Amino acid sequence: MTILLQALLNGLVSGALLAVPAIGFTAMFAVLRFPNFSVSGVATLGAFAGYVAYAAGLQIIGSLAVAFAIAGAVGLFLDRTAHMPLVKQGALPAAIASIASGLVLENVVRLLFGNELRGYDRPIARDLRIGDIRFSPQQLETMAIALAIMLAVFAALAFTRIGKSMRASADNPELAALKGIRPQRVAMMASFVGMGLVGMGGMLLGLDSSIDPLTGTRILLSIFAAAVLGGLGSAPGAVLGAFLIGIAEEAAVLAVGSAYRAAVGFFAILIVLSLRPRGLLGERAF
Amino acid sequence: MSLLEVADLRGGYGAADEVVRGAGLTVGAGEIVALIGPNGAGKSTLLKLVAGLLRPRAGRVRFKDREIAGLTAPDISRLGLSFVPQERNVFGTMTVAENLEMGGFLDRAETHHRMEGLYTRFPMLADKRRAAARTLSGGQRQILAMAMALMNAPLLLLLDEPTAGLSPRAAEELFGTIVSLNQGGVAILMVEQNALEALAVSARAYVLVQGRAERQGEAAELASDPTVRDLFLGGSAPPMLSQNRGDLR
Repeated sequence: MTILLQALLNGLVSGALLAVPAIGFTAMFAVLRFPNFSVSGVATLGAFAGYVAYAAGLQIIGSLAVAFAIAGAVGLFLDRTAHMPLVKQGALPAAIASIASGLVLENVVRLLFGNELRGYDRPIARDLRIGDIRFSPQQLETMAIALAIMLAVFAALAFTRIGKSMRASADNPELAALKGIRPQRVAMMASFVGMGLVGMGGMLLGLDSSIDPLTGTRILLSIFAAAVLGGLGSAPGAVLGAFLIGIAEEAAVLAVGSAYRAAVGFFAILIVLSLRPRGLLGERAF
Repeated sequence: MSLLEVADLRGGYGAADEVVRGAGLTVGAGEIVALIGPNGAGKSTLLKLVAGLLRPRAGRVRFKDREIAGLTAPDISRLGLSFVPQERNVFGTMTVAENLEMGGFLDRAETHHRMEGLYTRFPMLADKRRAAARTLSGGQRQILAMAMALMNAPLLLLLDEPTAGLSPRAAEELFGTIVSLNQGGVAILMVEQNALEALAVSARAYVLVQGRAERQGEAAELASDPTVRDLFLGGSAPPMLSQNRGDLR
């Protein structure tokens, strides 16, 4: 029982960390209408940008802001120059180009920082215990930050003019244009904020473990699976999907060993696309 | 001086697909003009070309004495021309109140004031303000779509088949709403399959055939023209529309 509860807690933490980039991925899909797989490279870039900022003396929140800004700016640049010009030919060419962009970013990071694992130099703290369940204060802090980011994103989408115009464009781009909402501006906003969230997600995952040039590639499948599971284009769906994938991955570690952890994402995508292609929450954008 | 002048307009969905082939029409300030014709005549395409959703290949579109052919949809909306498409004309995932807010996107300062005015005019919208637009009935959705267009305080409304898919009673109520909007000073250019009803509320009309305005004239004249009736209106007698239509509640 204790093992199960421990796995559940770990799954919730993983899910919260995964939800941040998954929201970014699904928000970009909702507006730009192609799956942007360069999130792998952008998550890695965000993790390293945050790492450099943290090593330079910034606190975690400041470092997250740096990760957001750099990942957002690079993601926006890639979308404008490499992906969006191909969207007119269909989602597939843009998606393939985004895989290439992700690989380029990953290797730029490898060129600059090398292949070795790096960890954020955080102060050591004693684990907290509830009964036999253990969790570290850092884990708790990272999860709280992830939840706060999610709340901020949902508040922005629900209450701000920019957030509402993004939702309107995701729902019906032609009608949004008729109402005076400029599609290019919304697309750029979606790229910047979406990739910024992916960058912060990369840093949060790095805070919870360690980082290397493959940090983003390792979570790409989980991000995609979370978005597909919840319903591509739905931000609440991405959060639900991220928590389910996080818990399922921990359960898989318990049941069949850590070697099969990565299979959870493939399995989830297979099941969803076979039984409910629109995902658990459908395409309800935000 | 006409509010809208369209001349020799050409355009369509692709290079090889010219649906509108040299169409021309005018709409005066405060006028209701109907655009009727057989399926595939290019009526909806013409509205999309005027509203900036499609780029004209040739021709002129002047609104408020300014050339707008080739401008984008947001720029044309900004000038006071609102288009209500036939389908997907509300943001289904957003609430009624959010839809109205988006309708007033261009004029944030007036948004609250105009929303309150529309809630008074259409109490149904006030009752459903927190409901997702996708949960509304067909008639309620059309009212919301028109209310969104009014949030922009337009001088000209382009309506694409506003009564499509509605019951006869809901359609009649909607025509009543269109007339009352027009009495408030908004000019209306309306595409309608329900041609006899459209002609009954319009001052003038154009008959579009194969992308060109083949006939034009007073709406009452066209409604009683035997050729027009046989070709496009089913040949039956014009309906007697009730004189005291209320707004859809």
